[in-house]
Amino acid sequence: MTALLEIQDVGVQFGGVRALTNVGFSVATGEFLSLIGPNGAGKTTLVRGITGVIRLQQGRIVFAGRDISAWPVHRRIRAGLAMTHQIVRPFHSMTVLDNVALPAGHENIGNVVKALLRLNRSPARKKALELLSLVEIVDVAHQSVRGLPLGVVKRLELARALALEPQLLLLDEPLAGLNSQEAARLADMITGINRQGVTIMMIEHNLGEVLRVSRRLVVLDNGRKIADGDPDTVMADPVVRSAYVGKEKQDAAP
Amino acid sequence: MVGINIILALSLNLITGFCGQISLGHAAFYGIGAYCTALLAKIGMPLPLTLLAGTILAGGVGLIVGLTSLRVRDDFLAITTMGVGFLFVGIVRQQDLLGGEMGISAIPSSGLGKIGFLLLVLVFVVLVTIWNLFVKKSWMGFAFDAVADDEDTARLLSVDVAAYKLAAFAMGTALAGLAGGLYVYFARFIVPDDFGFIMSISILSMVAVGGIGSVAGVLSATIILTLMPEFFRFVSDYKLLIYGALLFFVMRFAPGGMAGFVRRLFLSARSSSGAGP
Amino acid sequence: MTHRWRAVQTYPETIYSMLWFELLIQGIIHGSMYAIIAVGLSLVYGLLRILHVAHAGLFTLGGYLGLLLTNATGSLILATPVAAAVVGVIGMIIYRVCYHPILDQPPYVALIASIGLFIAMEEIYRLIFGPYGLSYARPPLQFQVQFFGIQLRAAEVGMVVVSTVLLTALSYLSQKTRLGIAWRATVDDPQMAASFGIDAVRVRYLNFFIGSALAAVGGIYVSLLSNLVEPTMGGVPSYKALAIIVLGGLGNLKGTLIAALLLGIVEAFGTIYIGQWLDRDAIAFALLIVILMIRPQGLFAGR
Repeated sequence: MTALLEIQDVGVQFGGVRALTNVGFSVATGEFLSLIGPNGAGKTTLVRGITGVIRLQQGRIVFAGRDISAWPVHRRIRAGLAMTHQIVRPFHSMTVLDNVALPAGHENIGNVVKALLRLNRSPARKKALELLSLVEIVDVAHQSVRGLPLGVVKRLELARALALEPQLLLLDEPLAGLNSQEAARLADMITGINRQGVTIMMIEHNLGEVLRVSRRLVVLDNGRKIADGDPDTVMADPVVRSAYVGKEKQDAAP
Repeated sequence: MVGINIILALSLNLITGFCGQISLGHAAFYGIGAYCTALLAKIGMPLPLTLLAGTILAGGVGLIVGLTSLRVRDDFLAITTMGVGFLFVGIVRQQDLLGGEMGISAIPSSGLGKIGFLLLVLVFVVLVTIWNLFVKKSWMGFAFDAVADDEDTARLLSVDVAAYKLAAFAMGTALAGLAGGLYVYFARFIVPDDFGFIMSISILSMVAVGGIGSVAGVLSATIILTLMPEFFRFVSDYKLLIYGALLFFVMRFAPGGMAGFVRRLFLSARSSSGAGP
Repeated sequence: MTHRWRAVQTYPETIYSMLWFELLIQGIIHGSMYAIIAVGLSLVYGLLRILHVAHAGLFTLGGYLGLLLTNATGSLILATPVAAAVVGVIGMIIYRVCYHPILDQPPYVALIASIGLFIAMEEIYRLIFGPYGLSYARPPLQFQVQFFGIQLRAAEVGMVVVSTVLLTALSYLSQKTRLGIAWRATVDDPQMAASFGIDAVRVRYLNFFIGSALAAVGGIYVSLLSNLVEPTMGGVPSYKALAIIVLGGLGNLKGTLIAALLLGIVEAFGTIYIGQWLDRDAIAFALLIVILMIRPQGLFAGR
C-alpha cells in the first residue's frame, strides 16, 4: 500500500502552549484510521493543520506525494482533502440541498471568472440529491437548515464533505451528540464510504464505535503520539490505558 | 439622480449584499470615479473615455482596498473602510490640483442634452441591474452566498475566499466609479463633501433598508430613499430626522429590510391560507 | 466640522523650542478626551459586539445638559454629575429599547440602526436647541494656567484631570467591587458568568450607564474647550472613537486608552508636520489603516 498522507514531525504552538510536538505517521490509501486521545490531546489541532485551517510551526504535510504544507485551505481541498467540523457549521442562509450543491458543483467555483459564466445549477443539485439520499436525509432537502435536529445536520456535513469527492476524508467527532442508535447507523455509513475507496481519518471519543469500525488507531496525548497500530494492540498498550484512566479521573472530578 | 443612486446602491449590493463585506467608505470610490472623470473632462476628453477611466481607476483602488478585506474581518473591516472614506476626503481637501475645499466647477456638459443624458443613465441602470441579477444567478453568486454566510466553511468547501472577495470589491467599486462619473456630468460641480461619510452611510442604508442582497429590494429602497426628501418637502425641517428614524425603525423592526419584510408577509399569508397546522 | 478643532488648537505665541513639548501636551489633552468617549464605546463593544455609533449622540447631549445646567445654576460642579447621571439613564433606555431586541441579528443590523439613531438624535438637538449652537453665559475654567512654561487653559487641564480620575476610578471599581468583578466576568465569558448567578442583563444596563455617563462628561469638557455646543459636535469624535476602539483591539479597555493617547499625540504632531497633505481627521484614519495592515487584530488583541 502507498502512503496517501504523510504527517512528518509536525509541531504547533498557540502562544506559549505546545499543542503538538513532533507528531508523525502516515496514512495509506484506503485505510480507516481513528485518532483518539483525551480532551486537549491535540487531535483537532492536527486535523486542522492537515487541512491548513491553522498553520504549522514545524514539520510537513505530504499528500499524494506533494508537499502541501504551504498551500491555502481551498487548494488542499481541491487536491482531494475534505473535513467535517466537530461543531456543525452548515450555511444557515441556504437550504439543505444547496448546502450540498455548492461543493457538489465545486468544479464551477474553482475560477472566479468561469464561475460568473456558469449559470446552470441543476446538475449539481441532482448530484446533491443523490448524496442526500445516500446519507438518508433526502426528505428534508428543500428545508432551511435552521431548526433541524443535530443528527440530520451531522449527516448533512458528511454529505457536504463527500460532495467534494475527496480521496481523504477527515472527520472530527462525527458521532458526538448522537444517541447510540444514530451513532451506530452513521458509523456504518462511514464504513460504507470507506469501502468505496475513500480513505478515512476520524477523531472520535465513542470508543465502542471506534473499535467496531476502524482498522487502525493512533493515540495522541499532550500533543504527542503515544501509540499507533491495530486496535487490539493499541488498546492493550499500558501507556494508552494510563492516559485514558487519567482522563476518566478528570472527567469524574467535576 | 435616482438612476445614479440606483447604480451606486447596486454596486455596494455586490460587495455587502452578495459577498457580505460591510463597507462604510463606498462613497470614496464614487468620489474617485467622479474626480477622475471631472479632471479628464476638463482637459477635453470625450465622455466615453472619461467614464471608462473613472470606472477603471475606482475599480483599481477598490481592488487595493479589497486586499485589506483579506486581512481584516467584520467590524474591523467596517471601520477600515470608514477610514478609507475619511482618508479620501482628507486627501482631496488638501490638494489644490483637486480643487481643495472648493471642489471642481465648470465641468463641461455631457453634450447629449438633457434627454440624451437621461437615456444614458437609464441604459446604465438597466445594464447594472441585469449585471446584479446575473451575478446572483451564476455560480459566482452561489460562492458569494457561501462566503457571506461563513468564510471558514466556504474555504473548507474549496472556495477561494480571497479571490471572490477581491472580485466583489473590484466589480462593486468600479461601478461606484461609473456612478461618480455620471454624477459629474449631472451636477457639473463637485466638492469633497459630496463623497463623505454621510454619502457612504446613505448608500449603505439604501442597501440595508432594501434588504441586504435582494436586487428588487435595493432598487425600491433606493427610489424611496432618494425621492423621500422630495415627498417630505412640506416638512423639510424634519427631513433628516425622518431619514434617521426610518433607518432605525427598519433595522429595529424589520432587520431583513423591505425584501425580508415582504417575504415574511408572503410566507405568513401562505401558511395561514394553506393547510394549517 | 474641522474648524472647531482647529479653534481649540490656537494658542498665544509659541516659542519654537517648546513646540515639541507643547505638541505632546496637546496630544495628551486630545487623547484624554478621546479616551473618555472611546471607553464607553469599548465597554459596549466588549459586552455586546455592537458598534454603538449613537454613543456620540449621548456625548453631544452631555454637552447640552452640562451647558444648560451650568447656565441655570451657575455651578459646573453641580451640573457635571447631574448631566452625567441623566445621560447615563438615557443610555440604559437606548439599550433597552434599541439594542436589546436585535442582539441576535447580524452585526450590521445594530450598526445601521445605531447610525439611524445618531442621525435622528442630531436632528432632534437641532430642532430643540437650534442649529447654531449654544454658548456658556459665563464660561467656567477659562483662566490661564502655567505648566512648565506652557500656557494652558484651565479647561484643558480639567479635561486631562477629570478623564484620568474617572478612568482610574473605573478601573479600581471594576477590580475591587463585587459589581465590578461581576461585570468583568460577564465580559470575559457571559455563559460562565451566568452560571455563577450573575444577571447579564443587569450588567449590560450598568455598562450602558457608565459608558454614557463618561461620554457626557467628555461632552461637557469639549464644550468648555470651545465654549460651544452644537448639534453636530458628536460627529468627528464619534468616528475617531470607533477608530480608537478598533486600534485598541475592540473591547480591550487598556488598548483603548493607549490607542486614544497615541492618536491624540500622533494627530498633534501630524497636523504640524504633514498637515499640508492630510487634514487632521484623515491623519487619524491613515494611522488606523497602517496599523491594521500590520496588526489586523488591533494593537492589543481583544479576548
